[in-house]
Amino acid sequence: MSGRPVSQIIEEGAARYGRNQEAVLRILTDVDRELGSVSEEAMAAIAKCCRVSSAEVQSVATFYSFISTKPRGRHLVRLCRTISCSMKGSAGILAALEKDLGIAAGQTTPDGRITLETTSCIGLCDQSPAMLVDDTPHSRLTPETACEIVRGLK
Amino acid sequence: MKKEVLLSANQPELGSALRKAASMTSADVAFEVRNAKLQGRGGAGFPAGVKWVLAGGASGAQKYVVCNADEGEPGTFKDRILIEKYADRLLEGMAIAGYAIGADTGLIYLRAEYPYLVPVIEEAASRLRQAGLLGRGIMGGKFSFDVEIRKGAGAYVCGEETALLESMEGRRGEPRNKPPYPVNSGFRGCPTIINNVETFIAVPHIILNGADWFLALGEGGDSGTKLFSISGDVERPGVYELAMGSKIGDLLDLAGAVDVQAVQVGGASGKTIPGSDRDRVLSFRDLPPGGSVIVFDGSRDMLGVLENFMEFFVHESCGQCTPCREGNSRLLDAVHAIRAGSLSGREALAPYLDLAETMKQGSKCGFGQTSSNCFVDIVNRFVLKADGQGGN
Ligand SMILES: Cc1cc2nc3c(=O)[nH]c(=O)nc-3n(C[C@H](O)[C@H](O)[C@H](O)COP(=O)(O)O)c2cc1C
Ligand code: SF4
Ligand code: FES
Repeated sequence: MSGRPVSQIIEEGAARYGRNQEAVLRILTDVDRELGSVSEEAMAAIAKCCRVSSAEVQSVATFYSFISTKPRGRHLVRLCRTISCSMKGSAGILAALEKDLGIAAGQTTPDGRITLETTSCIGLCDQSPAMLVDDTPHSRLTPETACEIVRGLK
Repeated sequence: MKKEVLLSANQPELGSALRKAASMTSADVAFEVRNAKLQGRGGAGFPAGVKWVLAGGASGAQKYVVCNADEGEPGTFKDRILIEKYADRLLEGMAIAGYAIGADTGLIYLRAEYPYLVPVIEEAASRLRQAGLLGRGIMGGKFSFDVEIRKGAGAYVCGEETALLESMEGRRGEPRNKPPYPVNSGFRGCPTIINNVETFIAVPHIILNGADWFLALGEGGDSGTKLFSISGDVERPGVYELAMGSKIGDLLDLAGAVDVQAVQVGGASGKTIPGSDRDRVLSFRDLPPGGSVIVFDGSRDMLGVLENFMEFFVHESCGQCTPCREGNSRLLDAVHAIRAGSLSGREALAPYLDLAETMKQGSKCGFGQTSSNCFVDIVNRFVLKADGQGGN
């Protein structure tokens, strides 16, 4: 996550993508990726910048599971819960991560370090079980390796 | 039968297919692809060349070539591997498509789950630009074509082509009514072709070797080869390329599947067959091959498998139409009731099988029209069968 103000991210996006409906999802994605989530204020600013209503921006933001309107931690761990991973023990990995982090899926550690989520198939089923940590895929996980990877995140 | 073309170690020289295409008329390029009977590799199997001919003939100064790299079907990862290894061929295939339909812009809709493929595609694109195979005045001629990446944001339904267009236009990924079809009114209302990654990558081979060569690759009247992502209970999960029309048994043997109880072909919305049906054919004539093949051995509880799929569908439905939104939830409830023992037997399950049919008929897009397939297959072949009440 960067310390850049949200207005700067939005302006930079608008300069690249334009100020219209088409830019809405692209700017939302940029803000979410840089700040971990998209706040009410950010959505209002995007609406103004792209000349659409705030309700429209909200409705786009809430449609996509990779965009969060709730604050998230510095790192995002997304564990696949779909069938091939489930067959190779993703439930045990989830339980281990939840225990290690002291949070349930969908929550963020109190120190703001990690948000733990489950996700639909991430296309790594030849190496199940798998997870994405921010932009990095990790596969052939065991409860031990998964916890080790997550403990190593600053 | 195993047959490697797209995955062959001997790849034609990059740009040679585009050069050959540029020496043909646009219409002839589209005709060649149509004559090769290249069926879309994303799951629906619509003939790619027919789309190209239609889009080429559609009126409009601006047209678009869109690559569907949303690959969200559970158990599918062939497009990831294709992009990792052959992003340059994908771009060449898209450029040939641009030449065929008269488009100067290509867009790759890449799923959010593959952020690590962005630099791979960008690096390949700059290599093609340096070689004069992308950009203004390709190979010194009049044809210009370039590509950009549009990232998805984590919604399976955005793989449906009109939802994908909505998403690229910055809106919720809710499928559109058809008609109009994208070949007439697609991205920004302009004529647009949308094809899967694998479809585009097959194109340079077709242009270089000709439609007849491609037709001859298939078995039993099918054309070309097909990539399969195989996972689950197999010794060697991965991507395999077989002649289209091959038997499922051949693929199971390649991947090392033993004690096979069930195989699901075409992902969660595909068909689920007993492992003993080894002669069933991987073809749009029999088991439509999207790309995913998931194997379940004798130890698997098929009701648990069904539960996992129905949870996926409940989570991923866009909620726009009732049969899909409500139907998938009710089928998931039924799975829970079967598990709890409060729902059993053909008679009690009949209303749910009817509901599955209603969803097939009444849903707006391919999602709701196919999401009940696994319920019907697994309930009929595995759940009722275990009760001694099996259908076929
Ligand atoms: C719910 C749903 C999800 C889909 N997901 C994908 C996908 O991830 N990739 C893909 O290529 N096609 C997907 N399709 C099929 C597309 O709608 C479309 O048929 C395809 O992109 C056309 O390209 P092709 O003819 O080359 O296969 C999906 C269809 C539906 C109904
Ligand atoms: S069938 Fe399902 S996914 Fe398709 S439009 Fe209707 S609710 Fe949305
Ligand atoms: S099922 Fe987990 S990556 Fe595909």
